[in-house]
Amino acid sequence: MPRTSRSRRPLILLAVLCLGLAACDEAPLVADGAGLMSAEQKDRLALFHGFLLKDHDIDYRVVTGRDLGDINVFAAERFAALKIGQPGRSGRGLLLVIDAKADLVRLEVSSNLEGVYPDAFVAYVEHRQMVPFFGAGRIADGILATTELIVTRAQRAKANAGFDGEAWHGGSGGGGATAKAGIGAGVDPGFRKNGTGIAAGRTPGETLAQYFRAMARRNAAPDLDIYTPATQRMLRRWVVTPAQMDNLVRAYRRCGASETRFGPDGRRAVIRYGLKERQCAPFFFLRNADGWALDLTVMQNLIRFGRDNSWHFVARAANPYAFAFTDWRIDRRGYPRARKQR
Amino acid sequence: MSSEDRIRALENEGILSTDQARLLSESFESFEAAETRPEGTPWPRRAPYIAAAVAVGAVLAYLIFPWGGDPVSDGAIQDVTRSLNQPGGYGEMNKSVSGILGVLVLLIVPLIAWVWLHNNLVSKEERVFEAWAQTESNFQRRADLIPVLIETVSRYLRHETETLQAVTGKRSEGTAALGKAIDDLAAAQKATTELLKGKGPGLLDEDATLRDLLAAQTRVGSGISAIVAIAEQYPELRSSDQFLQLQAQLEGTENRINVARMRFNAAVKEYNGAIRRMPGSLVARAGNFRRKAYFQSDAEARRAPDFKIP
Repeated sequence: MPRTSRSRRPLILLAVLCLGLAACDEAPLVADGAGLMSAEQKDRLALFHGFLLKDHDIDYRVVTGRDLGDINVFAAERFAALKIGQPGRSGRGLLLVIDAKADLVRLEVSSNLEGVYPDAFVAYVEHRQMVPFFGAGRIADGILATTELIVTRAQRAKANAGFDGEAWHGGSGGGGATAKAGIGAGVDPGFRKNGTGIAAGRTPGETLAQYFRAMARRNAAPDLDIYTPATQRMLRRWVVTPAQMDNLVRAYRRCGASETRFGPDGRRAVIRYGLKERQCAPFFFLRNADGWALDLTVMQNLIRFGRDNSWHFVARAANPYAFAFTDWRIDRRGYPRARKQR
Repeated sequence: MSSEDRIRALENEGILSTDQARLLSESFESFEAAETRPEGTPWPRRAPYIAAAVAVGAVLAYLIFPWGGDPVSDGAIQDVTRSLNQPGGYGEMNKSVSGILGVLVLLIVPLIAWVWLHNNLVSKEERVFEAWAQTESNFQRRADLIPVLIETVSRYLRHETETLQAVTGKRSEGTAALGKAIDDLAAAQKATTELLKGKGPGLLDEDATLRDLLAAQTRVGSGISAIVAIAEQYPELRSSDQFLQLQAQLEGTENRINVARMRFNAAVKEYNGAIRRMPGSLVARAGNFRRKAYFQSDAEARRAPDFKIP
């Protein structure tokens, strides 16, 4: 083994020291000082926020604690101290602060992301997406559900005009929004309206139109006729937020033409969109005495969404609605593909 | 729609009186005037390098025209042994080089230090100006939101009043309260206008003016809070997405003002400390660097307006 020359040793030592310091300086993506999440949940959050960093260069950190003082000042100072979105990257950063004692949540936005995530949007995702989950005591799920909306908006920004202010603007200038977290306060029953005017349709298409109508009205009532009994039972345990309902309506408005496919027994049906509409998942229906009802339970078990919100099946899972996809090829990871022409 | 157009529209609809509209419009002019400084009157100019130039000139003069005359100008044969190093000593040549180097060290080092200190003060002062510009732009941002807030609340109240009058024949109390809140807000904006009028960078040198400006801006914040409080009495308005968005923008602006103010005060503290400490104080005096006022909150300002949803 060649010996290191004496003159190089200090340099190597310095490099090792610098690397060590850099590693020590690396703050975690999720610092749960208040102990609101399990280790598994923190890892899952860190994984998704890592994707956000990798795909969109948005450095999204989460800090929780108790009695943090003025949460607005704390967030601005911590944003600077953690050098979120530090130079060398694009300077794009987000910091979510939860003060469990004060029961407040704040999402601080870096100056160069204010165009993509204006205060009004941040307040909307906090009040209409995050807080309903927090009310049910599901902190990590609330944060993850919000991350979905953040990713969607980042994708749209990238696809349209791109991100504003690519230059480093020295962190945050106080942009973002603060909301009452309402941790464990229960789910707002205001969105569980009654089912008046929402009935199962005589065709799957009619039922789907009724479903979109209910969502547009932010009606999260689980006992609507448009759902199968199993779906109703599942929805009673679910947190359905206003933002999820808005997002669903908005997303499917952009989907192209759909087609309805019926099963051989005439009891099942699928409404599916074109293969290029990767973010428009199919809907499954089961016929009962009143008409066609949405089978969200099977959809929930079989369909997943990737990092870019494109849908795919759970790989190798039994699919009672497979009859509707026989003209497509489902790859090993469950993604639908066009069959090769022979 | 620009803020100016919005104010005109509110005036035409009778939501704002002529006086209220004029006062709110003037406040925009004052921000614009403060942001765009007329050519020829930029941030303070100084003659920083006069002393440095004199010092450099002296050093150059010494090097080009050495004092004591030329020892060989009278035609005598030069005794080079005097210039050469002798055993155990130094010759004339080395002595003169040492002298020049000594003078260089004595003059150049302080000169470099002077220039470094001066540039350091300039950087710190620029940070103060930059922080102030950020604070001002946030005031502007808040001023832009005022007509939007008035429009949103007054339109809802008008609808509410019409419904109430149709059912009970009574007039909504909210309308009268809104009129008073707009009066207070317009007066606070007017105070801001007058404080900013004709003030350039000199504004930052005056403690009293900055204190008054903060008080005026605090009154603006209170005026906005009063209007938000009126809106919160109407659950339908309070829970609407449109009002939630507006409230978020107001809160966000308020927070930006606080952050900008904190950073401005930190920049002022660093700058003021630098111009008072030795040897920076010598450079500051020669370069006309003046102490900057803090944008400090009094007891009233410390109570930040609260627009939170209950």
